[in-house]
Amino acid sequence: MTTEVETAPGAAPPGGGGISVVGVTKRFPGVVANHDVNLTIRPGTVHALIGENGAGKSTLMKILYGVQKPDEGQILVDDKPVSFHSPTDAIKTGIGMVFQHFMLADNLTVLENVVLGAEGRFGIGDRAREEIRRISDDFGFDLDPDQLLEKLGVGQRQRVEILKVLYRGARTIILDEPTAVLVPQEVDALFANLRELRDSGRTILFISHKLDEVLAIADDITVMRRGETVGEADPKTATKHQLAEMMVGAELPSPETEESTVTTTRMLELAGVSLVDDGGRYLLRDIDLAIHRGEVLGVAGVEGNGQAELVETIMGIRKATVGTVSLADQDLTRWPTRRRREAGIGFIPEDRHRHALVLDAPLWENRLLGHQTSPALNRRGFLRRRAAKAETSRIVEAYDVRTPSINTHARALSGGNQQKLIVGREMSGDPILVIAAHPTRGVDVGAQAAIWEHIKNARREGLAVLLISADLDELIGLSDRIQVILRGELVGEFDPSTVTPQQLGSAMTGGRGDRS
Amino acid sequence: MKRTARFAAVGVIAALALTGCGKNDDDGDDNENGADANASVCESADGDGPAIGLAYDVGGRGDQSFNDSAYAGLENAVEEYDATCVEGEATDGEAESAREDRLRNMADQGLNPIIGVGFAYSESVNAVAPDFPDISFAVIDGFDPDTEPNDNVAYLGFAEEQGSFLVGVAAALKTETDQLGFVGGVHNDLIKKFEAGFVAGATAVNPDIKVAVNYIEESDLAGFNDPEGGNQAATALYEGGADIVYHASGASGSGVFEAAATADAWAIGVDSDQYLTAPADQQEHILTSMLKRVDVATFNMVESVVDGEPLTSYVVYDLSQDGVGYSTSGGFIDDITTDIDEYADQIISGEIQVPTAP
Amino acid sequence: MNAGTVVLKVGQAVLAPLIALAFAVVVTSVIVSVAGSSVSEFWEVMLEPPSKRSWVNILNQTSMLFLAGMAAAIAFRMNLFNIGIEGQYLLASYCAAVVAGAALLPGKLNVAAAVVVAMVVGAVWAGIAGVLKVTRGVSEVISTIMLNAIALTLVGWLLNQYGDSAGQGRRTTPIPESSRLDGFSFFGYFAQADGRVWTLSFVAIVVGVVLAVVINRTRFGFDLRATGSNDEAAVASGVGIKKMVVVAMLLSGGVAGLIWLPAFFGDGYYYGTPFQSNLGFTGLAVALLGRNRPIGVAVGALLFAWLSVQANPLQLFADISPSIVQVTQGVVVLAVVAAYEVVRRFGVAQEQRSIRKALQRTGRLEEGAAT
Repeated sequence: MTTEVETAPGAAPPGGGGISVVGVTKRFPGVVANHDVNLTIRPGTVHALIGENGAGKSTLMKILYGVQKPDEGQILVDDKPVSFHSPTDAIKTGIGMVFQHFMLADNLTVLENVVLGAEGRFGIGDRAREEIRRISDDFGFDLDPDQLLEKLGVGQRQRVEILKVLYRGARTIILDEPTAVLVPQEVDALFANLRELRDSGRTILFISHKLDEVLAIADDITVMRRGETVGEADPKTATKHQLAEMMVGAELPSPETEESTVTTTRMLELAGVSLVDDGGRYLLRDIDLAIHRGEVLGVAGVEGNGQAELVETIMGIRKATVGTVSLADQDLTRWPTRRRREAGIGFIPEDRHRHALVLDAPLWENRLLGHQTSPALNRRGFLRRRAAKAETSRIVEAYDVRTPSINTHARALSGGNQQKLIVGREMSGDPILVIAAHPTRGVDVGAQAAIWEHIKNARREGLAVLLISADLDELIGLSDRIQVILRGELVGEFDPSTVTPQQLGSAMTGGRGDRS
Repeated sequence: MKRTARFAAVGVIAALALTGCGKNDDDGDDNENGADANASVCESADGDGPAIGLAYDVGGRGDQSFNDSAYAGLENAVEEYDATCVEGEATDGEAESAREDRLRNMADQGLNPIIGVGFAYSESVNAVAPDFPDISFAVIDGFDPDTEPNDNVAYLGFAEEQGSFLVGVAAALKTETDQLGFVGGVHNDLIKKFEAGFVAGATAVNPDIKVAVNYIEESDLAGFNDPEGGNQAATALYEGGADIVYHASGASGSGVFEAAATADAWAIGVDSDQYLTAPADQQEHILTSMLKRVDVATFNMVESVVDGEPLTSYVVYDLSQDGVGYSTSGGFIDDITTDIDEYADQIISGEIQVPTAP
Repeated sequence: MNAGTVVLKVGQAVLAPLIALAFAVVVTSVIVSVAGSSVSEFWEVMLEPPSKRSWVNILNQTSMLFLAGMAAAIAFRMNLFNIGIEGQYLLASYCAAVVAGAALLPGKLNVAAAVVVAMVVGAVWAGIAGVLKVTRGVSEVISTIMLNAIALTLVGWLLNQYGDSAGQGRRTTPIPESSRLDGFSFFGYFAQADGRVWTLSFVAIVVGVVLAVVINRTRFGFDLRATGSNDEAAVASGVGIKKMVVVAMLLSGGVAGLIWLPAFFGDGYYYGTPFQSNLGFTGLAVALLGRNRPIGVAVGALLFAWLSVQANPLQLFADISPSIVQVTQGVVVLAVVAAYEVVRRFGVAQEQRSIRKALQRTGRLEEGAAT
């Protein structure tokens, strides 16, 4: 295998690829994103780089890939100092990058996607097809060069991205949060691929904040915090808790729920709800679900299987085509969003920047959002600014929103603090139902724990909670029941105390794994 | 918000630039002329005759039409009476108060007479004149907007229908298809006068002649500054069978001449002798032009002030005073001038009454 | 921290326009000199202290530009680009002139009736674009441009058809003496020949105050701003976007309807040559200049009014075409948008830095406590 690669014209030898980062510092206006970062990646290993959001992983990654230049410090590849002016330089040196968001064209074939921009290597015809087949076979990618991309699943698309990098002769591959988009079965398949790559002599830098995965795949681990590399760990001996402590300086909490508080009072009920788009396609089909007082109902599913539509139908942003939605025995199927909120629905949307905040408004104005009509915050159409500010101060205090002032613009806050503000806001005003869509996505571990705690509190106080999440641990830890959604239908109910992530994963993909 | 702001900014700049540009082009010409051949006579004039104020309409000196014609009269007056002069220029969409302010500034400087070029000065002169009883004002094409007469204001009008009648005669004598066309800039009362005269002149020669009429705009004054619109309007007439098209559309006329050149047909100019200012390839398609002697009116106004008997009230410049007429540049109608002049004599004598509305 | 934020905010509000203005001064000077005119003479005329008469004109123009700017600003705050202000105030002015000219009501009641008519007509004309947007998805940019053309042609046709003949043109019937408004002389400060600050200019102040309160202090204003900043978040918060679009257009058009009324009752008395066009387009620029805030729009209106009034005698005194100030106005707007963005980014970076500092301090403390 090695010899085959070496004969490939223009391909760098697969060995080597070790990278040393020495004292790298990168400043942005007002921020030091990387400060004295030191990292040694041994050739032929999987090296994990972990840290909270905003710890400086992305900046370091961009420096390694030539997107940004360090202000200070040096990068050595195979002990030789290098200086990248662009990703092209990085690729020439044998460093390739797979981004979290795929950069692939749906209407092209695998072959076309791979050769796009690298037409010089093996042409665009049979030689290229040959090379793609070879790489695919060597590493068990199981990709057909002539398959249209739109037919491929997420896991396969990711392999196309990796193939693209290998095709360009990469010896070192940087993977940015590669598992964020995958279900557990796909993660296993990915890891198998990565091990094969490592065994072929290639070097992998694996960026993640999922500690289980890191421990499962990495040979070495480097931890970053606040722009600095704060330590290394040996995956054979380190525990999740130790890693978490290194990441945040505090213990990683777990989302375990307490004694059941579920009652028999139905708060939210959906009966026979279907949602059909303009083209006649079913986005939701025959949804029946009920959430009781003091119950957390988790909804698991691969993204894009109707979760967003389900939430929007409950919120009244979309109106159910057929079926009824009721809250505490009131039929609100035809109610507008505002009236539903007034009836006591709190809403923590999936994408907080798009759906929950006005980034260029101060925090206290953001406190008003979604609660404009609350009598506590407005009187005869006039805003009660003082009350809104007092309320905001209370939330900042109670939910530990770290901000210098309630007049600070929402944009300036970190994701975790923004989310805490949103959670605080939606828990205010005595809701009877809270919809939480991916409430801890993209927030740091500290905020995650706090948000979990707030959801548990809400449950204890008798709220009904609809929890939608891609994080199966979170779902299992917090929910009283879990429903799985697939292609707009609820396909199964699980008891979180007995179900495993693998079982959920297989239900989410329709009973068949994606192992290839 | 930001994106809209940026988008909006670009849009607004484009709008400002469009209005600004039209004018800047004029300014460019203006400056070329001003700097080179045609520096304003007002810059060098330093005689001890009357001090004349001339407030232009939009476009200003250099528009090769209305304003330039007034300037020509001013030039003559400066030469004849050793006068000095001050010019003021209007901007597009300016406030009524801007015109008034312009006139007041001139009056404060002691200029006399002060002439507003274009009917848009009617109201502002009406507002300013009573405050300066010793100064004579004139408004070309103007009118008194209220019922109180001003005894120091002259409203200098023209019998455009008479001039149009004569070019209508010329067209009728020259047409081979017995089909004529008329392009109006804006469908208002003033331009209807041109249309009525033209049609009357043509049918006076041959009652069977058909005149097709096309207006560029119903009411938007942009119709006077839309060469593309002029071109389209004229092209349609030529394609409909007309072989001579008369235009009363200001600066849009250049488009009419283009259309004439393309169709290899005749066009008739308006206001000034447009043969003289047209590009060489269009000259041979300009049969004649209806002349509206703004220069004569301007000069007469100055003359009357010098003579101590300033013109007041309504003065109509018609054929008898040489206030309207036709041009012969290019020599295309030399063979029919006698016929045309016969009609002119009949109009002057009152034998023919030219209608002022179609 | 708070004092710093205030200084920063004020700096942001003042610095950007100043930079933009300075830039516009430079560009205009270059153009004046390239055109072969005297730069010093140009600025001498432009910066000469205005005469009393010019002050009257500047104040009057400011009031109309302010109304136009606010009409644009309301829509901008909702992320709507109401290019149709021009057509809205044109049609509204004509209709108001017809109604007032008919003198159905005596004296000042006639004025009130005309104001109502103007607002309703402006609102309806803008509302058409709003309704088209929410029911048919037609971009308001396109529909308002079309409505401008329709308004222009419609008014021209109506005037030609039903207007009184006056000289070479047509006009609406002049309003009776009893309905004319004398204007303010400010206790005789302005002499008769200086003219008067139009009575209805105060409407601009009323509109400014009311809109400032509505936008900043009411739930409606909050919904409007939220929708403009982030419409998806507004929807999720329960704002009915469709209704808001229509209401915002109605409001914008209603204010647009008022634009020319101060001049109408103070000076013009009929629709015809005294009608001042282009204010709608200029209003868009004024709104951008003032960042859609009433105070900012007022300052922008004053600046534009100053420029156009002071430029008027340019030809007389410096032999420079007054059109040159349109370049100045254009450059100011362009530069101000760019400058705001630069200053805004600087402000954001500054804010983030201060937060980081504040949090790092607490973060360290926690770490200390943990170990």
